[in-house]
Amino acid sequence: MRTVFFILALAVVLPAIPIGVWREFVLDAAQFAFITTALALSWNIMAATGQLSLAHGAFFGLGAYAAALAVNAAVPTPLALLFGAGVAAISSLLLGIATFRLHGIYFAIATLAFSEVMRTLVNKAQFVGATFGYPVPAAFGGAGGILTAYYLSVALLVLATLVSLALQRSRLHYAFAATRQGEAVARVLGVPAVRMKLIALLISSSLAGLAGGVYGMKTLFLLPPDAFGVHRAIEALVIPIFGGLYTTAGPLAGGLILVSLENVLRLWVGEGYLVGYGVVLVVAILFMPRGITGVIARARRRRKEAPGAED
Amino acid sequence: MELLLQTIINGVLAAGIYALVASGLALAVGVVGIINFAHGEFLMVGAFASYVLFIALGLDPVVSLAFGALALYLVGAATFHGLIRPVLAAPELNQMLLTFGIAVILQNVALLVFGGDTRVIYPPYQGTPIAIGPLSFGVVPLVAFALSAALLALLYLFLYRTRLGFAVRAVAQNKIAPGLLSIETSRIYLLAFGLSAALAGVAGVMLSVMLYASPHVGFLFTLKAFAIIVMAGLGNITGVLWSALILALAEAFVATYVPGGGGWVEAVFFLVIFIALVWRSWRAA
Repeated sequence: MRTVFFILALAVVLPAIPIGVWREFVLDAAQFAFITTALALSWNIMAATGQLSLAHGAFFGLGAYAAALAVNAAVPTPLALLFGAGVAAISSLLLGIATFRLHGIYFAIATLAFSEVMRTLVNKAQFVGATFGYPVPAAFGGAGGILTAYYLSVALLVLATLVSLALQRSRLHYAFAATRQGEAVARVLGVPAVRMKLIALLISSSLAGLAGGVYGMKTLFLLPPDAFGVHRAIEALVIPIFGGLYTTAGPLAGGLILVSLENVLRLWVGEGYLVGYGVVLVVAILFMPRGITGVIARARRRRKEAPGAED
Repeated sequence: MELLLQTIINGVLAAGIYALVASGLALAVGVVGIINFAHGEFLMVGAFASYVLFIALGLDPVVSLAFGALALYLVGAATFHGLIRPVLAAPELNQMLLTFGIAVILQNVALLVFGGDTRVIYPPYQGTPIAIGPLSFGVVPLVAFALSAALLALLYLFLYRTRLGFAVRAVAQNKIAPGLLSIETSRIYLLAFGLSAALAGVAGVMLSVMLYASPHVGFLFTLKAFAIIVMAGLGNITGVLWSALILALAEAFVATYVPGGGGWVEAVFFLVIFIALVWRSWRAA
């Protein structure tokens, strides 16, 4: 909980920190980090019901393109973002109704197939520029410069965090956990498992679509392989697993650490920089299987068990 | 009519290499129980091994096949021993993430060493066509298909006609009982994972001639191989042949008959899988 507030507070005051020439770069990198982390938080909500989704790239891309279409049709920014989230949610509802009899890797592959089909469709859609890409106007007509875009992505991150926290405090949390841990038992206990999965998917995909909309208004240009690619879904699932699944602090801390690491490696190593990312992943899985939050929780427990041992 | 026949032939020829890659993955998933996202990367390593052997020693890819298989068997066995074994009991998600990390490492090491360009091997017979009546096909895809078919036949003979093959299939069915029958499960895992990587390596050597070697070539094959084994039903090794054939034919038909079909090919591939999965789940319910 403290971690969550600390990170969000840091995000809010970041532009005021005097770091001279690095300011623009840091703010720019931070926006991408926030957007990716919000996507990861949304994936984590879906994962709480035990379904491994690889369709979050598609929700992200659909949200991005729908919001961009709306903004280009002179719709105000907040409404356009909502429209993007709505389109992503509707697509997820259709996907969910078709696929919720599938489990485990079958569900994962079906969502991956959905995502790839969507990418190809957009690749062929002339009205959004097909493979040539689609320009997007800046948020709120570019008023306020870089800070507007920055605080838009902070708002997205705060919203995703709040939704995630609210779900953890609600009855849905238990229903999701029961669905994940044993669907048959959950049904016997009166948990409508399919409805729970659909609710999780709806919330999750709306957030992913929203993140996509904000992303489009940040990059000002959308390309199908970039907005829809499988790498989006993979980022969205690597972060929670690295940080700590089914928690809020885990994806939040994990996302900021991993995306920052990616930026540092990109500056140092250049092409092939992701090799360090891969090593971190493998080491993390082998030595901290419950993510960063798992390591912290264990350290805390140990300190409690041996009071005074450390001071 | 000729176009139709030609399309079918193209599809069947492409199915060979798909079936080879997917059978390897089916071994890893079915026997070891590991969702291996690095499978396509093993194929990529095989393709680069063939490229290096050709450039440095002038070795013909047909000779490289043996080296590729052996090298990848060792890579696969080492990967299993060092990295996969510790997570055998871990949650599925962690296993997937680990293999994904391995994939990222292999892909980016290749990027650091070779750069992002695609590299093709041109042996003297590269462009040689064979014509039967109005139909024609390249000698390379034909040989690759024949080799794939032969290797798959050997794999089935091994799995269904040898004692060791029985042991492999027993471990695939049950993790505990084979141990009671004095089958050493951990050695079977090692063998299956090594074989899985070796099959990918052989496919990679073929691919270095048919398509190209590039750091990014692996991931698409991982996806397609997953799609094939999922459509076949996990652990169903005979089904792999059929679903590889169906998917390769679907690809070939779209590439030939749909105008501007190039970009649609992958969508059709995944559309077929999506429909197959959803149809099966609704029928079963």
